[in-house]
Amino acid sequence: MAALSRTAGARRPAAALRDNRAAWAFGVLIVTWIAAVLFAKGFDSVSSVRYLVQTAAFLGIVAVGQTLVIMMSGIDLSVSGVVALSAVVCAQVASGSGGPAGVAVALLASLLVGLANAAGVTWLRVPPMVMTLATGTIVAGALLVYTNGSPKSAKVPMLASLANDRVVGVPLAFVLWLGITAAAAWLLHASRAGRWVFALGNGERASRASGVPLARTAFIAYGACALLAGVSGLVLLGFTSTSSLTMGNPYQLLSIASVVLGGTSILGGRGHVLGTVAGALLLTLLTALLAAWNVSEGVRQIVLGLLIIALLLAYARERRS
Amino acid sequence: MPDRLTAALRGNLDVTGLGALLVVLLAVYSHYDSQVFTPASITILSAQFLPLILAAMGQSTVMLAGGIDLSLGAVLSLAMAVFAVRAEDGVLVAAGLALAAAAATGAANGVLVAYAGLPPIIVTLAASFLWGGVTLVVLPQPGGSVPSGLVKAYNNGWNGLALPFVAIALVLLAWKLVRTTRFGLSLYAVGGNEHGAYASGIGTRKVKISAYALAGVFVGLAGIGLAIQTGSGDATIGTPYTLNSIAASVLAGVSFFGGVGQMRATVLAALLIGLLTNLLLFTGLSPFYQLIMQGAVLIVAIAVKTFATRERTD
Repeated sequence: MAALSRTAGARRPAAALRDNRAAWAFGVLIVTWIAAVLFAKGFDSVSSVRYLVQTAAFLGIVAVGQTLVIMMSGIDLSVSGVVALSAVVCAQVASGSGGPAGVAVALLASLLVGLANAAGVTWLRVPPMVMTLATGTIVAGALLVYTNGSPKSAKVPMLASLANDRVVGVPLAFVLWLGITAAAAWLLHASRAGRWVFALGNGERASRASGVPLARTAFIAYGACALLAGVSGLVLLGFTSTSSLTMGNPYQLLSIASVVLGGTSILGGRGHVLGTVAGALLLTLLTALLAAWNVSEGVRQIVLGLLIIALLLAYARERRS
Repeated sequence: MPDRLTAALRGNLDVTGLGALLVVLLAVYSHYDSQVFTPASITILSAQFLPLILAAMGQSTVMLAGGIDLSLGAVLSLAMAVFAVRAEDGVLVAAGLALAAAAATGAANGVLVAYAGLPPIIVTLAASFLWGGVTLVVLPQPGGSVPSGLVKAYNNGWNGLALPFVAIALVLLAWKLVRTTRFGLSLYAVGGNEHGAYASGIGTRKVKISAYALAGVFVGLAGIGLAIQTGSGDATIGTPYTLNSIAASVLAGVSFFGGVGQMRATVLAALLIGLLTNLLLFTGLSPFYQLIMQGAVLIVAIAVKTFATRERTD
């Protein structure tokens, strides 16, 4: 009896590690980081690490929200629009009525987009990909109309310090990201709403039949995702002091890639939000490596696209049913 | 007999509905532009609508096979860039190169979807990044040029012949031919029920790859048309076509789950979206409102479709 449980116990961690894609994501991240330190210049200093985790926070905050949505087998393609929305609206409002008002209005506007997404997905039954693509386009159009094509730049001291200050040497943006991740980890892996999210991700019909509230779960997930995209837009505004209509564009693909590279199934229902942290760090590291390499924008985009596809092929494939 | 009539009507519900909508829209349109039915006007309008119609046909092809292509806009830009860069050295060679590039990117998407075991959304989203990069390498800044004689003939008519209109008709005819082949039938079968199609001996992977490649050809033609219409190339101009091609396909009744839909409905729907965009300009609203309208059309179209079909199935 004792022998039996011992062998089972010995086998379990190995099998668990093999099946735990989030742990794999950290493995790939560490290997890539070591390779970067060994073979590329400027990745071995404390300040480079600091800068990396600071810039990874912008992507990471969006990706945490994206995790919530993908876990319930949705997808949010409007995050790029919402990042821009929040930064542009905040800059516009802050220049008139001050920073706090700008932040409040920007977050409210972001949340509204998320609620619209959830409403379309649950009540109008529009597939998530199309609904969020459409709202993202509407947001982009609304921003064009709102700013007349030329968004403002604004220095909001509160946001600037949030993006650039440090606490005992650790960038505040990174601390914020970790705090958000902790909250999301609780929501997804410890709360009742999280169990709903996982249930819906594993099979919508069965979970609805067993009483999982689709509408409430969708409103929580899409709302949180849009809100976090808004937060990221604000931090970005603080970081650059300018807003632009296209500033969110990279986050559409990169946030989804972070989630999937972090070991979460793109079909939903399997994964851990901590893996997304590794995914976002990995993608930011790769982007930084490519930026250090002196090639044109087009080549950089090709290499990053190929790397993402290769990584997806390496460990994000779905078992065929 | 009435049963057969209603069956025929129901079978062509999308086409008749869209046709009726189009007639209404054209009536409104002619109120703003009384010249709309003259040959000159038809030539200009068909030149303007050709890229969207062909892009929508490409998207529909992929959707019929049960997929989706989010890289469509990037591939359209790529074909446009290749054509615009090479057009001065010979239009036919340039067109061949552009089509080959678009078909190859389509086939590459298809291979990833068929063999990688990754959902089409994520594959084509990542691919859009990749093809966008390739386009930037081909044409870093907007530029390139198309021989002015061709631009003129295309936009103003060639001996009174509306070239873009002829091109659309030829492509639609080609699709009709494809539709009657074994591949055309397999396309619907794979989209409708992949396991069933596989069990009845269809090479589902080959069909998917061919579908994406064929879509690439349609999108490539759209890119070439756009280059000829504008007389030059632009690496970022294709982006809106991704959303609009999906909107047109959905409006036409092509199912997201594959296997259901008609190409002539897609053409009508693309025409409808094009006319609607033009009408928006007539009303004097800023062109900035275009994006809002396109997104709204997509949501409304899908919501109406969902509720209409739900009633029938319940």
